[in-house]
Amino acid sequence: MALLELRKVDKFFDDFVAVDRVSLSIEEGEFFTIVGPSGSGKTTMIRMLVGMDKPTNGEILLRGKVINDVPANLRPTCMVFQSLALFPHMSVGANVEYSMKCKGVPKPERRRRAMHFLGIAHLPESYYDKPVTQCSGGERQRVAIARALAFDPEILFFDEPLSAIDYRLRKVLERELKDIQRATGKTFVYITHSLEEAMVMSDRIAVMQKGRIAQIGTPHEIYRSPTSHFVSEFMGEVNSFTVRPDGDGRLVDLKSGRTIITVPDATPADLKSGVLVVRPEDMLMGRQIPAGAACVLAGRIVNEYVLGSRVQYQVKAEEDLYLVEKIRAADDTETVGSEVEIGWKPADARIFAEPMQ
Amino acid sequence: MADIHPLTRRLLWLFFAVVSIALYLPMLVTALASLSRSRFFIFPVSRYSWKWYEDTLASQQIEQAAITSLIVAVMVALISVVLAFFGALAFARYDWKGRKSFQYLVLLPIFFPQAVLGLAVQLWLNTIGVEMSWHSTVFGQLVWIAPIATLVVAIQVFGYEPAFEDAARDLGATRWQAMRDITLPLLWPGIFSGFLFALLLSWSNFPFAYYTSGADVTIPEWLHAKMIGGYTPMVPAVGTLSIIAGAAVLVGGFSIAAFVKAILARKAARQRPA
Repeated sequence: MALLELRKVDKFFDDFVAVDRVSLSIEEGEFFTIVGPSGSGKTTMIRMLVGMDKPTNGEILLRGKVINDVPANLRPTCMVFQSLALFPHMSVGANVEYSMKCKGVPKPERRRRAMHFLGIAHLPESYYDKPVTQCSGGERQRVAIARALAFDPEILFFDEPLSAIDYRLRKVLERELKDIQRATGKTFVYITHSLEEAMVMSDRIAVMQKGRIAQIGTPHEIYRSPTSHFVSEFMGEVNSFTVRPDGDGRLVDLKSGRTIITVPDATPADLKSGVLVVRPEDMLMGRQIPAGAACVLAGRIVNEYVLGSRVQYQVKAEEDLYLVEKIRAADDTETVGSEVEIGWKPADARIFAEPMQ
Repeated sequence: MADIHPLTRRLLWLFFAVVSIALYLPMLVTALASLSRSRFFIFPVSRYSWKWYEDTLASQQIEQAAITSLIVAVMVALISVVLAFFGALAFARYDWKGRKSFQYLVLLPIFFPQAVLGLAVQLWLNTIGVEMSWHSTVFGQLVWIAPIATLVVAIQVFGYEPAFEDAARDLGATRWQAMRDITLPLLWPGIFSGFLFALLLSWSNFPFAYYTSGADVTIPEWLHAKMIGGYTPMVPAVGTLSIIAGAAVLVGGFSIAAFVKAILARKAARQRPA
């Protein structure tokens, strides 16, 4: 049985549909991430999941029991807030102990367990008496996690807690969070707008779009086999071509009239018009282009961005800009102004029936 | 402050001096007038004396007025702060249908001239047949002071993040536990300021007392009566004592707050492991 299950859950605000017939199930011990752009309904989702909002229709089940109407304080789940919501008038220890204090756990026992959870969250025991207002951003994050773990929840929810933290610290905390999840075996449900963040930590990801689930899958599935143009665009910048079938099993680029070769089963059966997407790292340049390339475009490099070990080129071909990304090599001769040919292998393209949303 | 031009700095000091004089000179003159031996205030004071203070402290009339004023002020402050706490939550914390109208309704009495409001309360109490005494003064002053206290507490509530309460509830706190452990302590500075503010506003309030206290006399009423007929330097003497009492309440109030905070900090420190 799934730990948490949603069955056709809707949430309306007057006429506005924030969440639209969402069904999904989350397994015990899973790191599950709900990701989507702002306005996709993910915040409404988490508010319903923790019990701060009620679904308009549908059912939320925890271990097979409907919990739609159970308020947040009676649910065996806990949330790390976007603002963290650490109680500013209390010490680190008092924050971590608060749930136990509410349950009436005696002081020495509370303290002993608080120390345990400080340890799990990578905080020294000496922080027990430190006022939370004197903690740094990363430390506050850890206090919030320790406080939530001390509640011993069945599920721990996170509402974009890392969004206000600088890049380097965020990368450290992402890994710590994943380590904590693995070490404690708890079920984590994480909300973020950053697919990159989702990729690092999650066992499975649900991509949301306009209140609906666009795709659910492992990070690898989402990355390698996006099921819609939206998901592939959400992953990062891509090269898109508006195409239609030419009747001979190939596609025609509507803009240039050029024929594009595809692998047979990549094209949806009844495609009338659609979008063909190629990732920048699947774009090939010059000598790399194999004999059976899907298509070859001639253009000129207009920009070059160094991304650490990789390099991204912006290539202008027939008034359109394309992105090509590759591992940097010592013998790279291409630079801004170089005339180049770009292309891709038929198997590296994804074709989606629907137009871009 | 190092980058300020010397001339700017001098002008700032001058401005500070002018404002200070404008604010405090009247009080100083009042104090001087109360120390003058002669019955009428003539400047400069030719002979100083404590006589009027001795008379003031000996006067049973003034003692009675002070007690009445104090009782009224404490009652008004206590009731105001309770109303203000819940009013401020409705004003600034919770999103509900009538909130905008409520905000206007709360603010309205503050913009009414107090004399008109006092008269209105008097007419209304007369109509329903309430006998005027300090009880009705408490009621009358609440009409004006409770909204002000609500505003003072509301300022604190606006800065209060609702997520704190949500987080407490999410961690299993009941509504009462969340109120006791989170909301009240975090709003405490506003509540305490609201209480002191209400206390001082009531202590020095004349219009409501004038219209609604019946036979009971408060300090501002006594001052007013004496100024209309029968001025003696006891008037500035009482005025000066009243200012000193007000200042004492403020200083005392915040000292108590600081003291309590220090005690709590020491208590927390004692719980630390050896």
